[in-house]
Amino acid sequence: MSELINENISIEKTSLFDFHNKNNAKIVPFGGYYLPINYSSGIIAEHNHTRSKASIFDVSHMGQIEINGPFVMEALEKILPISFSKLAPGKIKYTQFLNHEGKIIDDLMVHKTRDENSVWLVVNAACKQKDINHLRDNLNKKFNINVRNDLSLIALQGPKSEKILVDLIPKIKGMEFMSSIWFRYKNYEILISRCGYTGEDGFEISIPNKHVVTFTEELLKNNDVKLAGLGARDSLRLEAGLCLYGHDINIEKNPIEAGLKWSICKDRVDKQDFIGGEAIANEYIEGPKKNLLGFLPKGRAPAREGTLIYDASNKLIGEVTSGGFSPSLGVPISMGYITSSFRNEKEVFLNIRGKKIPADIIKLPFVPHNYFKRKK
Amino acid sequence: MTDIFYTKDHEWIKVNGDEGVVGITSYASEQLGDIVFVELPEKGNSFDQGKDVAVIESVKAASEIYSPASGEIFETNSSLEEKPEIINEDPQERGWLYKITIKNKDELKNLMSEEEYKKLIGV
Repeated sequence: MSELINENISIEKTSLFDFHNKNNAKIVPFGGYYLPINYSSGIIAEHNHTRSKASIFDVSHMGQIEINGPFVMEALEKILPISFSKLAPGKIKYTQFLNHEGKIIDDLMVHKTRDENSVWLVVNAACKQKDINHLRDNLNKKFNINVRNDLSLIALQGPKSEKILVDLIPKIKGMEFMSSIWFRYKNYEILISRCGYTGEDGFEISIPNKHVVTFTEELLKNNDVKLAGLGARDSLRLEAGLCLYGHDINIEKNPIEAGLKWSICKDRVDKQDFIGGEAIANEYIEGPKKNLLGFLPKGRAPAREGTLIYDASNKLIGEVTSGGFSPSLGVPISMGYITSSFRNEKEVFLNIRGKKIPADIIKLPFVPHNYFKRKK
Repeated sequence: MTDIFYTKDHEWIKVNGDEGVVGITSYASEQLGDIVFVELPEKGNSFDQGKDVAVIESVKAASEIYSPASGEIFETNSSLEEKPEIINEDPQERGWLYKITIKNKDELKNLMSEEEYKKLIGV
């Protein structure tokens, strides 16, 4: 039942690796990095602590990429289905890199910085090289693509996040959700972004590698903060109905069927002036052929990735792409695709180890988002 | 007199006469983490030694349980249906999975003693 860590030299350590070990983390290889799956309290306790207070996650495996050059936003609009002109400086937007077939190369966060010649991207660890190649292939050579390996990334997530971070950096109070600001802390610069991957309020903090351990220790002095690993990160994002690249979305899926239409700028689809624009225009208007939805199987057995989905007449209509146990709801939950014509059915059947388990179809998310809203 | 034997897959069987009680070890329970579901065998069904007999699901993944002995299931731990976390709390006692009538006690020679098992997991 145990899995040995494959001593593969290509797996990297984050700057917090020794810190994780000191804190009794169970380390696993993920996306090319050794990262904690959980600490000694376990996934469910870490999950619940994040929903009620706040947790720190090491997400330094994510790629932080800075692109510099005059008219960089105009150039990136040929690659991304967003409209920079509609974004205020300092705002963050969730988006995807698409190929010419409109399929998803990766999903990412784009920051419109206060410098009009600079854009900041945060991409998935396992897609880093693929994304850089895609950018190099489609951007003029005059743009400088700078992968910020000098920076770690930690996520502080949970309803108490602002209260906790304010003690260290008072000026983050009231920061808008999906916005980022560079702050000077002690004698170095950190980028604070109010966003996350748990459905809760929270911050992602880009911080020089050599300062990340002391900064994390500073945060942990607050009794409301605990460490959490990838296990809780996965169950939190699943409850929040957020897609995981390589599972719910991949190079075979388009953003419309993945329920990500909201992230695509309509004007850009009308003009079809970005890579993949022509390919997704039809589904953008007519609707997709399949839909990513949520499923609540009866009973306690989790329906995991790869579980096949049937209708009442035993016809195969789809497949689960993420599934597990929801600590917040105390029941199993799954996300998956079914043929669009079945999306309004009340019930489908999930084949779990040969047994057909009835499941309710629900619209995502399973647990409502609890993002920060500024009081007007 | 009760004897306890272990498998390399981290199951234990406590043997008393022709009857055995089966569960997973503390080491296995720690490795799995939070257990959220257990699929137990049907009473009256028979299994061969080493065959998959049950499934334990943790938050992370599903794991097969392989029967340490051949025989017929005569009781299962129904309290696990509502409270699978009992396995995490007490894997070697209250967290037992099923009871089996052992068909061939010679098969137990294929299993490990407590000492051998401890060596396997490095304690």
